[in-house]
Amino acid sequence: MIATIVVLACVTFATRYLFLAKNLPFTIGPRFQRLLSFSAPCVLTAIWVPIVFMPSGKFVNELNSPYLLGALAAVFLAFKYKNLYLTTFGSLIVFYMFF
Amino acid sequence: MNIAIKKGLLDMLPLNLAVLPWGILCGSLAIQNGFSALEAQLMSLLVFAGSAQLVAIELMAKGASMITLVITTFIISARHLLYGLAIRNNMIDKPLKWRGPIAFFLTDELFAFSHHHRAYQGKLRLIYALVAGGSFYLAWNLWTLFGIVAGQFLPDLTNLGLDFAIAAIFIALVVPGVSNLPVFCACLVSGVTMLYFKWIEFEFGLVAAALLGMSTGYVLQAKEDKS
Repeated sequence: MIATIVVLACVTFATRYLFLAKNLPFTIGPRFQRLLSFSAPCVLTAIWVPIVFMPSGKFVNELNSPYLLGALAAVFLAFKYKNLYLTTFGSLIVFYMFF
Repeated sequence: MNIAIKKGLLDMLPLNLAVLPWGILCGSLAIQNGFSALEAQLMSLLVFAGSAQLVAIELMAKGASMITLVITTFIISARHLLYGLAIRNNMIDKPLKWRGPIAFFLTDELFAFSHHHRAYQGKLRLIYALVAGGSFYLAWNLWTLFGIVAGQFLPDLTNLGLDFAIAAIFIALVVPGVSNLPVFCACLVSGVTMLYFKWIEFEFGLVAAALLGMSTGYVLQAKEDKS
């Protein structure tokens, strides 16, 4: 069992380390880097959108879903105040009011 | 230096708390499926990957073959290849003593704080990343330990709505950066295509949705620069 765990650890570490390895000889040009500059907002959006629109794996079908209303509050707060804590806790309050 | 440490801890703290139910689940699910306490903890200490860990535990309990386990784990972890690529230019000139640990800590959560164009540049930013990533590692392992020790006495905490907290934190990190039309459209395309991929249960959905969004942003940006 421990051998299996070590193998799986190698898989997850390899995916994280591969492109940070110096002996992988390639350089990322300015155009590729510009493409990659969109990776963080895209990945994070692709993670949060299903949580909000498909909680428990199914599409939300009512407008007073706590996930929808909470996310709406989060977008508003993030846009207006640009503060991690304020957005998180403010939208959590909205979420639990309807949860 | 103290400021970098403090900021790393404070930035990651909400996520450290929000993942508690899944950390506990990783510990308790492993024990339920016949893992020893040591093996259950080693999953979080070494594999250190939320969803991949949960799936691997169930596959191992069912006696899946090594090749199935490796392929499944790779599919779920493939998005980290993108994270490595995205920070490669900022990291590649750093010695192994920085690249190694930061690669090990390079989860969704740490990547969420890696977007600044000067991320990982200079010692303070490296310390910041190491502290933020390391604190997430410690929290994840602590929650796993809770699950191992007390999982059988705890109710399922994953339906308490803390998944919304994770979504809220990511919204808080994304929205302030949506400063122009290309980024907005990139996010829109990623979000909409992700819903579709999730619906059809496409396993590389996250990577595909991200790449589609990134291409959209790139093309629109190039058009804007031309005109």
